[in-house]
Amino acid sequence: MKKLIAALFVLFLMASCVTVKEYEKVYINDADMKLAAHTNERFEVNFQVYREGAAGANGGKTGGGCGCN
Amino acid sequence: MEEKQVEVVVVTKFQNMKKIIFSITFLCAAFLYTSAQNQDSTQVYKKKVLDNTEVDFLMSLYKQDGDRSAVGGGIGNEEITDFTPTIVVSLPLNDDDVLTIDAGISAYTSASSSNINPFNNTGASRGGGDDDDDEYEDDDDDFFPGASNNQPTGTPWLASTGASRSDVLASLHVDYSHSSDDRNFIWGANVGLSNEYDYTSVGFGGNVTRLFNEKNTEIGLKGMVYLDKWRPIYPTELDEYDHYGNNFLSNGYFEGVNVLNQNGVATNSYLPSAFTSISDESRNSYSVSFFLSQILSQRLQAALFFDLVRQNGLLSTPYHRIYFADKPNYYIGEASYIPVYTSPQNTGVYQLADDIERLPSSRFKIPIGARLNYYISETFVLRAYYRYYTDDWDLNAQTVNIDLPIRLNQRFSLTPSYRYYTQSAVKYYAPYETHLSTEQYYTSDPDLAKFDSNQYSIAFNYNDLFNDFHISKFGLKNANIKYSHYDRSDGLKANIVSLGFKFIFQ
Repeated sequence: MKKLIAALFVLFLMASCVTVKEYEKVYINDADMKLAAHTNERFEVNFQVYREGAAGANGGKTGGGCGCN
Repeated sequence: MEEKQVEVVVVTKFQNMKKIIFSITFLCAAFLYTSAQNQDSTQVYKKKVLDNTEVDFLMSLYKQDGDRSAVGGGIGNEEITDFTPTIVVSLPLNDDDVLTIDAGISAYTSASSSNINPFNNTGASRGGGDDDDDEYEDDDDDFFPGASNNQPTGTPWLASTGASRSDVLASLHVDYSHSSDDRNFIWGANVGLSNEYDYTSVGFGGNVTRLFNEKNTEIGLKGMVYLDKWRPIYPTELDEYDHYGNNFLSNGYFEGVNVLNQNGVATNSYLPSAFTSISDESRNSYSVSFFLSQILSQRLQAALFFDLVRQNGLLSTPYHRIYFADKPNYYIGEASYIPVYTSPQNTGVYQLADDIERLPSSRFKIPIGARLNYYISETFVLRAYYRYYTDDWDLNAQTVNIDLPIRLNQRFSLTPSYRYYTQSAVKYYAPYETHLSTEQYYTSDPDLAKFDSNQYSIAFNYNDLFNDFHISKFGLKNANIKYSHYDRSDGLKANIVSLGFKFIFQ
């Protein structure tokens, strides 16, 4: 697990040398490229928070606010 | 002794980690704020953060079925139906500020919850609980006509018709966000309130986001606090014991009701002495979330998510029954069903609880997630998500999710998705009738057991490019429908349909 996190950080550090200009972001700005769950996934995330022991790390619900796990 | 030492080391490790984390959090927030102050003094052309008011109408219908109900101590019907209409309104207050109001309800019926009082409609309530709507206390005459000797019956395999069968959770969240002139710094605050029959939650929080490197890099920090409160409901037999003490079998609910032993013989030996009512009814949650995203190329971008969540208070559910392996079993209902108690053939007897679920009053959770999105072509996009989760109850979990949006044309797209989830059991879990009364903590909740799950989804999305469809002054921006099937290795199955319409004010 530690190796995976380290690898991802290295990837980010390497990528920081790359700069994509605003006019080159036509693909990046596509709605499906959004780095978050889609709006219609909120209900799924909600039932998963109840039915599973793990939650969080998806930019949304982390725990609390409900009688869930 | 050795176990205790390991526990101390783990607790110390988590405490040290917490100190480091809160220091980093403070430094990050200070850095993000300072850099925003420097940037904001530059006058640049700015586009409105949100051009027009947007309204999302969302709803979902969820159905599940399983046979390991936590209310039944790890066995019994888990059928749930949940309907959740929701409205989300995003209002641009000016060029820089957006206010979002999110209001919804979740109306559900649950076979599990109905069996908090499995005998409710079968007459046992004549002594203790009033289950009708009139002004007179407990005057109903609803003894179960089919039961032998007018004795009440119940079963974990069917839903009871008691009041706890259904409930409505109502929630309201308000979120405010402000963007700097150069749009490289965003801060926000939010408050939320939700309420259902036995649970109220008040939450508030704040977030800051900083964009660097010509908006190729984004760092965010979010803090949330939930101050929740239970209004505990106990399984009927334990509630009566709590109310009347050692003589509860000849008072209230149990007056005139036969309690059977394992051999089906009437007895007055049932005494759930392990049970004591809950004194601390609060559940507080504190979370800090880090977010880092990076554009890696013109077609590839990734994000890392890292949350730290601390929960304190009543973390168990007060109406989850526990049956101890080292205590005799007692029942209410028809003796002939006792030998088949653990099978759905049992339609007439319910086992009385030894205690309720007991769990520690604190939990520390660490989920770490990563997203990677790749724009393959004008037709295909690949969205990948991975999460690793660990906590100090020894629950470890991994999640993988893959979406593949397929653009059929400019207006329509189809998204097949697959999600795999696996978790280990919490160290306090044991199945039905296997916990010992000597243990300090125990749960038979299958949601905290070891299992894997597979989820298959298909979503259909429509973009109304020119907002052709109107309701009053609101034009449709997009509409989507998603169906998911969830299959858990312990037999629980669920289906959910979500529907969403986004309108913009014109």
